[in-house]
Amino acid sequence: MTLDASRRAFLQRASALSVAGIATPWAINLAAMGEAAASTATDYKALVCIFLYGGNDYGNTLIPYDNARYTIYQGMRPTLAYAQADLAATVLAPSVALPGGDQYALAPELAPLLPLFSSNKLAVMLNVGTLVQPTAKADYTAKSVPLPPKLFSHNDQQSVWQSSAPEGATSGWGGRMGDLFVSGNGNATFTCVNVSSNAVFLSGRTAVQYQVSSTGPVALNGVKSPLFGSTTCSNALQALVTAPRTHLFESEYTRVMSRSLVAGDALTAAFAGGPTINTVFPADNGLADQLEFVARMISTSNEVGAKRQVFFVSLGGFDNHDGLASIHPGLLTSVADAMSAFHAATVELGVANQVTTFTASDFGRTLTGSNGSDHGWGSMHFMLGGAVHGGRFYGAVPEVANDGPDDVGQGRLLPSTSVDQYAATLGKWFGISDSNLLSVLPNLVHWNASDRNLGFV
Amino acid sequence: MLAEIENPSGADATATSLNVSPIDVTRVLAVAGTAALESCGGGGGSSSASGSAPVSAADASRFLGQASMGASRAQISRVQAIGYAAWLDEQFDMPSSGTRWDWLVANGFSDPSHKNDEAGFDSAAWIKLLTSPDTLRQRVTLALSEIFVAAIDGLIGGGWKQFGAAVYLDLLEANAFGNHRTLLQQISLSVPMGEFLTFRGSAKANATTGALPDENYARELMQLFTIGLVQLNPDGSPRLSGGNPIDTYGQADITGLARVFTGWDFDPAGLTGAAITATPDFMRRPMVQTGTRYEAGAKSFLGTTIASDTPAAQSLSLALDALFAHANTGPFLSRQLIQRLVTSNPSPAYVARVAAVFGNDGSGARGNLRAVVRALLLDDEARNPANAASTSFGKLREPMLRFAAWARAYGVTSPSGAWAIGNTSDPATRLAQSPLRSPSVFNFFRPGYVPPNSALGSASLEAPEFQIANESSVVGYVNYMQRAVAGNVADLTPDYSTLLPVADDANALVAEINLVLAANQLSASTTAALATALQSIPGGTDPNRLKRIHAALVLVLAAPEFIVQK
Repeated sequence: MTLDASRRAFLQRASALSVAGIATPWAINLAAMGEAAASTATDYKALVCIFLYGGNDYGNTLIPYDNARYTIYQGMRPTLAYAQADLAATVLAPSVALPGGDQYALAPELAPLLPLFSSNKLAVMLNVGTLVQPTAKADYTAKSVPLPPKLFSHNDQQSVWQSSAPEGATSGWGGRMGDLFVSGNGNATFTCVNVSSNAVFLSGRTAVQYQVSSTGPVALNGVKSPLFGSTTCSNALQALVTAPRTHLFESEYTRVMSRSLVAGDALTAAFAGGPTINTVFPADNGLADQLEFVARMISTSNEVGAKRQVFFVSLGGFDNHDGLASIHPGLLTSVADAMSAFHAATVELGVANQVTTFTASDFGRTLTGSNGSDHGWGSMHFMLGGAVHGGRFYGAVPEVANDGPDDVGQGRLLPSTSVDQYAATLGKWFGISDSNLLSVLPNLVHWNASDRNLGFV
Repeated sequence: MLAEIENPSGADATATSLNVSPIDVTRVLAVAGTAALESCGGGGGSSSASGSAPVSAADASRFLGQASMGASRAQISRVQAIGYAAWLDEQFDMPSSGTRWDWLVANGFSDPSHKNDEAGFDSAAWIKLLTSPDTLRQRVTLALSEIFVAAIDGLIGGGWKQFGAAVYLDLLEANAFGNHRTLLQQISLSVPMGEFLTFRGSAKANATTGALPDENYARELMQLFTIGLVQLNPDGSPRLSGGNPIDTYGQADITGLARVFTGWDFDPAGLTGAAITATPDFMRRPMVQTGTRYEAGAKSFLGTTIASDTPAAQSLSLALDALFAHANTGPFLSRQLIQRLVTSNPSPAYVARVAAVFGNDGSGARGNLRAVVRALLLDDEARNPANAASTSFGKLREPMLRFAAWARAYGVTSPSGAWAIGNTSDPATRLAQSPLRSPSVFNFFRPGYVPPNSALGSASLEAPEFQIANESSVVGYVNYMQRAVAGNVADLTPDYSTLLPVADDANALVAEINLVLAANQLSASTTAALATALQSIPGGTDPNRLKRIHAALVLVLAAPEFIVQK
C-alpha cells in the first residue's frame, strides 16, 4: 500500500508536469520507481506495434454475427452496418467457443486474416483500452476510481495507449521494454526502431528511438560525394553538422544528425550482407512498405547484433466521423494485406515464432452513427505471430448496447482489459521479469498478479 | 496578481532558464499605449523596447527572422531605415498581393477536369510564402495555419480540394491582423473547416438509432483553437488545484457544444444536386442552414446555456462569444503565436504581457490580432539581443521557414510561373512538412513537445519543431537544399547578384550569407572553418564563383547555428 500510494503521488506529479508541457527528469522517475534491472537474452525476439492512427472503428472491424447481437448492431448504425449475409464468409470459428453462442465475424476486407486465425497464428483481444485500475460501469458513473486522463481526446489517448500518460509523456512502454535490452544488443541504436513518425511509444527512459524511412536510411549527399566538387567542403559539412554545441537546441539537432549518419552507415552495411526476402508485399500500401522494411531489419538483426528489438509502424486515416462506409473498408484491406504479407515474410525468414505483432489505436469509437462514428474508448485488437496462441478470443465479450453495462453511452466501450495487461503479456513473452514489468507499466500494479498475463502468447 | 502555484515536486514548473520577473505593469501599459496610438492612426510609435536608436544590420536581420518569411538585403535596409515599429506598421497596412483562389482560377485550375484532384494548390501556397511583399502577414498566416489547422487531405465532400485549401489560407490571411472573434466566426462557417472537422451535414440527435451530433468540431474548437485542455493563469501557466491541473471541459461540454454545430452545409446558392459542386464556388460561400438537421433544443456547455429554439446562426454566435470571452483564450493563443514567431519557451511574464494586449488592445478591444503581433514582436524579450546569447532562447526553424529564408534572401523566381515545388512532405527527400498538409488537426508538431532523453528535457524546455526532426528528416532537408540552391528544384531560379561580387573572397562570402540568413549568429570559429573550406573551390570565373556560392549556401543552411533561430 505504501508503494502504491507513493506511486500514485509520483504519477500525479508527473501528470502535473507533463500538462505544463515540461519533461519529467527521468532521474527522479527512476529513483521513484526503482531502477529496473537489465535483462539478458541469447535468442532473438521482436515486438511489432501496428498503430492505427485516428481511432479504429471497432464496430465495423469485428462484427457481432449471431442473430441477437447482429440485430442490435444493425439497429444502432443502420447506414453503416455490413449486411449479415456479407459476413458469412469471414465468421470466426474459435477453438474455444464464446459463451452464450456469441459469434463474431471479421469485416469482409479482413478476409486475408481469416486463414491466420484458423491456423492459430492470430488471436483477437476483446474490449481492450486505457485504464488506471479495474473499472466497472458503476465506478465510472460515480467517478469513484481514477480514470485515464483526457478520455476521447486523440493526442492524449494516443499518448496514454503508448505511455500510460497524456500528451507530454517522454517515454512509452515499447521504449521502456527496450531499455532493458539495450545493453545486450550489439548496436543500441537499433533497439527501438520507428519506421513511421515520431511516437512516444518507442522512447525509453534511456533508449532513444531510431526513426528511419521505409525506403531505408538517407545518406547525406554532400558528404557521400564531394560537395560541389570539393571534398574539403564535404569534410567541413560533416564536421559542422555533428560537432557538439553548447546551445541546447543546437546540441539536440547535432545529436539527431550524428545518430543518423552513424546508424545509416551501419544499417547500409548490414543490409548488404542480409538475405533476400522473396515474399511479395502488396503495392501502394504504406503500412506494407513499413512492415517490409521491418522484415528487412529483422533479417539483418544478426549483422547488427540485435537480440531484442521493438518496432513501430502505423497507418492513419481512421478518424472517420464522416464517410466511414467509403473510407474504412479500404483501410482494413491495407491492414489485412500488410499483416498477412509480413507474417509470410517472417515464416520465410524462419523467425515466425520470434516475432509478435499487435495492433493498437487511439481508442475505439461509438457504435451509434449515421455517416461515421465518434471518439470512443475500448476496442478490439489483433495479435499475430508463430508464438501467439491464436484461433481464439481473449477478454470479455461486451454487450452491444447504447449505455448498457459495458459501454459509457453511444456504444463507447468501457474497457474490460487494460492496455497494461495487454502490454504485460507481450512483455512477459519478450523475456521481462514480473518485477521489471511493474516498472515498465506503472498501472499494472493495480491488477492482481494472476490477471497480469492474459496468456495469448 | 498571479495565483500562487503549488508544486509538490519542488521543481519550478513555470520558470524557464530565462529570467522570469513578475508582470511588469509599466511595460504592459507601454505596449498597450503603443497599440492605442496605432489604432488611432498614429503609427510609428516607438516603445522603450523598440527604441529609436539605430538598428544594426544584424539586429534587423534577427528581427526579420521572427517577423517575416525571411530576411533579404532590401528588407534589412528597410528595417534599419525606419525602425522596427514603423516597419511593422508598413507591413500591417500593406495591400493584399491577391488571393490564392484567384491564382488558381487564372491558371486554369477551375477547369472541370480538376474537380477531383488537388492540382495547383501547392504552387498557390508557395508563391505567397516565397514572394508576397506582405512578408509579415505571410508569416502570421503560416503560424495561424499551424494553430487553426485544416489540411488539404481532409477536404472531402464536394471535390475541389485545391480551392478549399486555398480559400482557407486566404481566410486566415485576411484575418491575420483582424479580430480573433471574426476569425473564429469565419473559420466556423467555412466549408473547408466544415469538411475537415466533419460538422458539415452534422445532424441533431436521432432518437431511433441513438446517434448524437458529430462531436469532432466541438472538441477540437475547444481543445486546439480556443481554450485548451486545462485552465490557465494569465501568464499561460496551468492553474493548479491541490497540485493538479484543472480541466477546462468534460465530455458533457463537448456533447452540448456539438449541438450548436448541426444543420450547417454548403450554400447551394439557388443550385441543386450536382450543380452545387460543379464549380469550386461553394468552397468560398460560408455554410448555411439547410434541411431540418439543426438541433433546436437547448445547448449547455462551459456553464453557458443557449435556450431552446434559439436560431442556428444566433446559437453559433453565442457559442463563439463564450469561447472568445473565456479567460484561457488570450494566453492560450498568445503563447502559441510567440512560439511560432520568436521562441519556444517564452517566460510567463512575456506571455502575460502579450495576453494582456489580447485582452485589451489599449482602446478597449479584445482579440485585436494586429496589436497582439505588434506586442509580441516589440517586447523586450523578443528584441533584446542579449537573449540570443542564452543557451535556451529561440526555436528550431521549421523546415518550411528555412527553405523560405533561402528563397527570400535570393529573390527566387519561377520563370515559367508554375512554381512547381509541389508537396514537400517527404521527410527522406524533402522538407518533412508542406503548407496546409499537416497529418492531422494536431499540426506537424505540438506546442508542448519535448524531445525524450534530451538535454532540452532535462532543462524543462519545450521544442515543438523537434517533433519532426528525426534521423531521416535532418538529412533529407540538407539534401533538398543542396538541390535547391543549385537550381534543381522545379524551375526555381535564385538571384545571387548580392553574392557574386564577394564570392572570390571566401570570408566576405560567408559573412554576407551569415548576415542575411543567420543574423550573424554563426560564430567566428564556424565562419572561419567554412571560409577555409570554401577556398578549396577556386573563384575567378562566374561558373566557379557559383559553385563556391552553392557550397557556401549549403554549409550555412546546414549549420546548427542557422537552423536554430535565436
